[in-house]
Amino acid sequence: MTAIEAKKLTKRFKDKVAVNEINLDIKQGELFALLGVNGAGKTTTIKMLSGLILPTSGEIIIENMNMKREAFKIKQILNVSPQETAIAPNLTVKENLEFMAGVYQIEDKDKKINELVKGFKLDEVLNKKAKTLSGGWQRKVSIAISLINNPKILFLDEPTLGLDVIARKELWKVINSLKGKITIILTTHYMEEAESLSDRIGIMANGNIVEVGTSKELIKKTKAKNFEDAFVSIATGGEL
Amino acid sequence: MRMLNFAKRNFKELIRDPLSLIFEIALPLFLLFIFQQFNIDADNYRLENFTPSIILFGFSFITLFTATLIAKDRTSSFLIRLGTSPMKSSDYILGYILSLLPIVLIQNVLFFLTAVAMGLEFSMSIIPTILVSMIISIFFISLGILIGSLVSEKGTGGLGSIIVQLVCFTSGMYFPKELVGGVFEIICKLLPFEACLNIIQGTLHNDFSNLTLIHIIVFLIYFIAVILLSIVVFKKRMISDNK
Repeated sequence: MTAIEAKKLTKRFKDKVAVNEINLDIKQGELFALLGVNGAGKTTTIKMLSGLILPTSGEIIIENMNMKREAFKIKQILNVSPQETAIAPNLTVKENLEFMAGVYQIEDKDKKINELVKGFKLDEVLNKKAKTLSGGWQRKVSIAISLINNPKILFLDEPTLGLDVIARKELWKVINSLKGKITIILTTHYMEEAESLSDRIGIMANGNIVEVGTSKELIKKTKAKNFEDAFVSIATGGEL
Repeated sequence: MRMLNFAKRNFKELIRDPLSLIFEIALPLFLLFIFQQFNIDADNYRLENFTPSIILFGFSFITLFTATLIAKDRTSSFLIRLGTSPMKSSDYILGYILSLLPIVLIQNVLFFLTAVAMGLEFSMSIIPTILVSMIISIFFISLGILIGSLVSEKGTGGLGSIIVQLVCFTSGMYFPKELVGGVFEIICKLLPFEACLNIIQGTLHNDFSNLTLIHIIVFLIYFIAVILLSIVVFKKRMISDNK
């Protein structure tokens, strides 16, 4: 069953077309990676799909609800972990979780918070102020927060950007554990991340989705040696 | 209530910032104390006049720290996360305003306790004065929301300092505008800070003879305009920041 459907989705900023009539069909429980060079339109696409900005034209259907008409309902079943760490700096990790539970008006918030603390092994940092945590911990907390409302759809915008190898692998483990349970749309600049985590990959260039498929399909299609070469070939139109 | 939940978070952010507490509470308290030690022979520095001045001085820092909080939220992606949540614009604006009101109340109570300890005659008019000043504080909070929506975290320091200076020099807290006269006197009349001070002093003294119709009109125009402008600009910036 389809979780996210985008039809001819377009975003223009004055004369610049950031996203150009893209179509997407993402299945429930699928982990879909959106790849592209800087300025390809990934973040704008995610912002439109998550209801943060309005498209210039086109349609977004999330779990059978139309974004134009039912944005408030849709916002209750999705969540986002933005590119930059988005947590309240002077609040402790527990207070951050409690605050977001209040935003989504979670009924049994203590139970949900305990579940996330256990799942993400947050015990050791629970009473520490968010601003005192390392980048890795902040990202981990940021992703934990994005699961507070049991979202059906989760957007992860560059979740491991700037993290060291160990912190990245830890987050991969977390993301892998969510696979199948939640529909995840992930943007990343790391090819091995997309290859290792995603079910399907969409490659964007100049505001268009130029190719969609599994990593193996994309390698086969471009006759490349590995996925990175396949991506470069697709993103540059075969020029490199 | 999402609005109260947001207000609670904002309150914690502000109260845990030591700089915010120093400038909003400690510095005005220090000024209230130190100016009484100088025994300056001028009406402005008599406790019944200078305590309302200190309240207004404290409000200028409320503007500065509200602006800083909002600018920080905008640049840290915190508002992006909330923008994808079911929070409405009214939850944000009222959440910011409500979070500052307890701090305003704490300021007022501490300023009056200190003033009474230093010799201000206790009167029941202190209670309506606190209530009136809390209403006036909404103007200063909205001004903070407006500045925080318009400029970056760095910019809030500069603009906030200008507000602090304008409060000090155009409200009449340190010297009457007639001492300078001319254009300065007109500027003082056109800005809302003298009106704010006269309203607070008038309520404390139970004597509004210093409050003119122009004061009331100027204050109301600024009060309404700044609140409306802060709502419009904040909403617009929430969208443009996310482009």
